[in-house]
Amino acid sequence: MSTALSWTELRTGREDLASLLAFRRSGLSDAERRRVRLGALLVLLLTILAVLGPAYLGGDTPRARSGQLLALLPSLCLGFLVLASFTAVASAGGREIVPRDQAVAFPVSTVTEHLGALILAPLNIAWIAQAWALLGVTSYALGPARLWAYELPVLLWILGATALAQVVGWMAEGVRRGPHGIAAFRTFLAVLAAVAAALVVTGRLTPLLDRSPTAQILVIVLEGQARGWSTWAFGVVTLLLAGAAAVVVGALPARWALSRPMREELRLESGRHEARAVPGSDFTMLLRIDRAAVWRSVPLRRGLTVLAVMPGAVALAGNLEWTMLTILPGLVASGAALLFGVNTWCLDGRGALWRDSLPVTPRAVFASRSAVLLEVLLSSAAVTLVLAALRAGRPTTPEVTALVCSTLVASVQVVAAGMRWSIARPFAVDLRSARATPAPPIVMAGYSARLAVVTTVTGLVFSGLAGIDDIRYAVATALVMLLWSCLRLQRSARRWDDPVTRSRVISVVAGG
Amino acid sequence: MRQTATPRPLGERNLRRLGGFSAPVRHSVKADTRSAAVSQNDRVDEVGQQGQRRVDIQGLWVRFGAVAAVRGIDLTAEAGRATALLGRNGAGKSTTMRVLAGVIPPTEGVVEVDGVDVRTDPLAVKRLTGYCPDVGGLVPRATPWEHLQLSARLRRLEDWEDRAHDLLERFELGDVAHRVTSGFSHGMGRRLSVVLARFHQPSVLLLVEPFDGVDPLGVEATLEAIADARARGAAVLVSTHLRDLAVQACETALVLRGGSTVARLRSHELVGEEGAGVYRALLD
Repeated sequence: MSTALSWTELRTGREDLASLLAFRRSGLSDAERRRVRLGALLVLLLTILAVLGPAYLGGDTPRARSGQLLALLPSLCLGFLVLASFTAVASAGGREIVPRDQAVAFPVSTVTEHLGALILAPLNIAWIAQAWALLGVTSYALGPARLWAYELPVLLWILGATALAQVVGWMAEGVRRGPHGIAAFRTFLAVLAAVAAALVVTGRLTPLLDRSPTAQILVIVLEGQARGWSTWAFGVVTLLLAGAAAVVVGALPARWALSRPMREELRLESGRHEARAVPGSDFTMLLRIDRAAVWRSVPLRRGLTVLAVMPGAVALAGNLEWTMLTILPGLVASGAALLFGVNTWCLDGRGALWRDSLPVTPRAVFASRSAVLLEVLLSSAAVTLVLAALRAGRPTTPEVTALVCSTLVASVQVVAAGMRWSIARPFAVDLRSARATPAPPIVMAGYSARLAVVTTVTGLVFSGLAGIDDIRYAVATALVMLLWSCLRLQRSARRWDDPVTRSRVISVVAGG
Repeated sequence: MRQTATPRPLGERNLRRLGGFSAPVRHSVKADTRSAAVSQNDRVDEVGQQGQRRVDIQGLWVRFGAVAAVRGIDLTAEAGRATALLGRNGAGKSTTMRVLAGVIPPTEGVVEVDGVDVRTDPLAVKRLTGYCPDVGGLVPRATPWEHLQLSARLRRLEDWEDRAHDLLERFELGDVAHRVTSGFSHGMGRRLSVVLARFHQPSVLLLVEPFDGVDPLGVEATLEAIADARARGAAVLVSTHLRDLAVQACETALVLRGGSTVARLRSHELVGEEGAGVYRALLD
C-alpha cells in the first residue's frame, strides 16, 4: 500500500471536511444552532477567563507558590499529551464527523477522517478542563506581564500535543486491526502498565518526570516572560512546526489504520454466544438482553475498560488521599454514561420497533435499562476505587462512608440525567464501530460538560464531608441527593410510559 | 372491486385505465402464479366465511406534529385471510402496521384486534399480534436464539424450543442461531424478522416488506408462513411494494395513497400487465 501523501490530498481533505461539517450543521434546527453558538461563546469566555483571571488575581508576582507551580508545568504538559493519547487510542483513532453508516455512500478520504477526528478531539470536557488548567496555572504563576508571550507556547503545546496524540491513536488502531493485533496491543499495554508500576514503586517516576522533554516548554515560557525573545521565538516556531508536522504526518497512520479490517468488531459479530436457560422472570430476561447490548459492543467494552482503569491508575500514581477519591466515582460515571447512557435506547438499534411490539410494560423496560446503566457505572467506579485505594493507606470510617455515598449519589445522578436525555433527545446510532458515539459530537460536548459539573460538585461535597467525624452528615446528604435523583428518574419513567413519547423515541432510534 | 374514499380525484386518464376492472383479467402474464394464488384463495375463502373479524380499524388518523401520516383509514381483516397493503412510499402502510402492533398510538379512530382496543389495552394487543417491522427489526447485539427466548419469556410460551429450531431451519437460519444479528445480511435479517413475527402463532400476523432483499428460498418460506397462519385462522396483513408477491400471498389488496385508502381489490385484479396498469393508475 502506498503511503505517499500529496498536498492535493490534504487540500481536498480539508475541503471535504468543510462539506461534512456543513452537512452536520444542516441537520440542526434553529434552536439547536443557537444553543451551539451559545455553547461556543461560553467556552470562549471561560477560556479567556481561565487565561486572564488567575493572572489578575492581585498580589505581588511572582506569587508565593509560583516556583512550585512552574516546576509542575512540564509534568502537566506531559500529562496532557498522555491523556489526549489515551483518549485517541480508546476511540480507535478518533471520533467520526459523520457516522460510518451514513458516510458509506460518500467518498470520504482517510485524510478527511483524520482531520475530522482532530477537529473533534477538543470537544470533550476532559480536554477542555486540562487546557484551562495548563493556561490558568501558567498565568497564575507568572502574572499579567507579557501574558501573551508566555501563554502562546502553552497554547501551541496544547494544539500540537492533540495532533501528536492523534498520530498515536491511529498507530495503535492500525496495530489493533492487524493479524494478532489485539493480543499485541494488550501485551504492549500490560508491559506499559508494569513499567509504570515499577517506576512508581521504586520511586523513579518523579526523577523521570523531571527529565521530561516537556521541560523545554517551561524554558520557552520563562524566556517569553523574561524578554529572551530569540530563544522564545525559536521555541515558538519549533512548536508551531512540530504541531503542523503532526497534523500532516497523522494522515499516514490514519490511512494505514483505516485500510485494515475491523478485526475486533468482526470477531464479535461472527463469534458464537451459546444459549443459556430462559430466566425465571421477565425482568431478568430484559436485563440479559440489555447487558449483551453493552458488553458485546466494541466501543463500549473498550471505553468502559479505559474509564475503569485510567483514573484509578492516575490516582495510584499520584498517591491520592481518601478525601480526594470522592471525586473519582463521579468522573468515571460521567465518562461511562457518555459511552451510551445519554442515548440509552440506541442499544436496541433497529430492533427497537420489534422490542416495543413485545407484551411487556414500558416500566419494566425502563427499569431494566436504568438498572443496566447503573450497574455499568457502579462496576466501573468500583474498579477505579480499588486501584486508587491501593496506595491511599488505611481510611477512617467517615472517609469510607463519604466515598460510598459519593459513588452512589454520583451514579444515580448520572443515570437520572442519562435516562432523561435519552427520552428528550434520541438519536439513531449504530454503536458497532469503535469510533461511534451515542450522539453527535457537539451534543456530546454539552452532555460531558453538564455531567462533569454536577458530578464534580457532588464529589467535592462528599470530599468535605469526609473530613467530618460524624458520618450522619454524609449519609443524610446522600439520602437527600438520592431522593432528588430518584424523583427525576421517576419523572422520566412517567414520560416513557406515555405511548406518544415512547413511539417518537423508538421511531428515531430505529431509524424510521 | 370496491372503491373507497379517495383523497383527491383520480383524473380522467386514470379513470379510463381503471375502466377495464370489471372485464375478465387477461391471462398473458404469470398465469401459473395467478392460478396458484386463486386456488389458494378459494380454499381460504371457505375458512374466512367461518372466520371472525380479527382486525377492525375505523377512521384511523395518525399525526406526527403537523404531519398526518394516516388520514382516516378503514380496514378489516378476517380470520384465515391475507390482505396486502399496497401503495407508494409515505402512503401510510407502515404506520398503520405500527399502530396495529401497538408501537404507535392512534391519534384518532378505533383500532381493535380480536375485539381488544389498542388504545385501552396495548399489552393484550401485543400478545395477539406478531410484527415484522420494516426497518431491520432486530436487536443488533443479540442472537436469533436470544430474540426467541425474549419473545417466549414475555409471551409465557412453553415447550417452544422444538418449534423455534424448526422455524430457524425452515428459514435457513439454524447455523447462525447463536451469532449476533449485527453481522447478518439484509436478507437474513428479513427472514429472522418473519420468524419472530410468526413464532408465537399470533392471531394477527403483520408483515412489513417481508420479501425485501430475500432470496427465492426465503420468499418460499415466507409464503409458507403466511399460508400456515391463514390455515390456523390468523388474519395476515402484508405491506409490500412487490405486487407479484402480494398477489401470490394475499387474496385482497388495499391500496393506500397519501394516508388514505383509495381502493380495495381482489388480488387477481392486480395480476399481469393489466393488473400492473390498474395498480399504477391507483398510485397517481
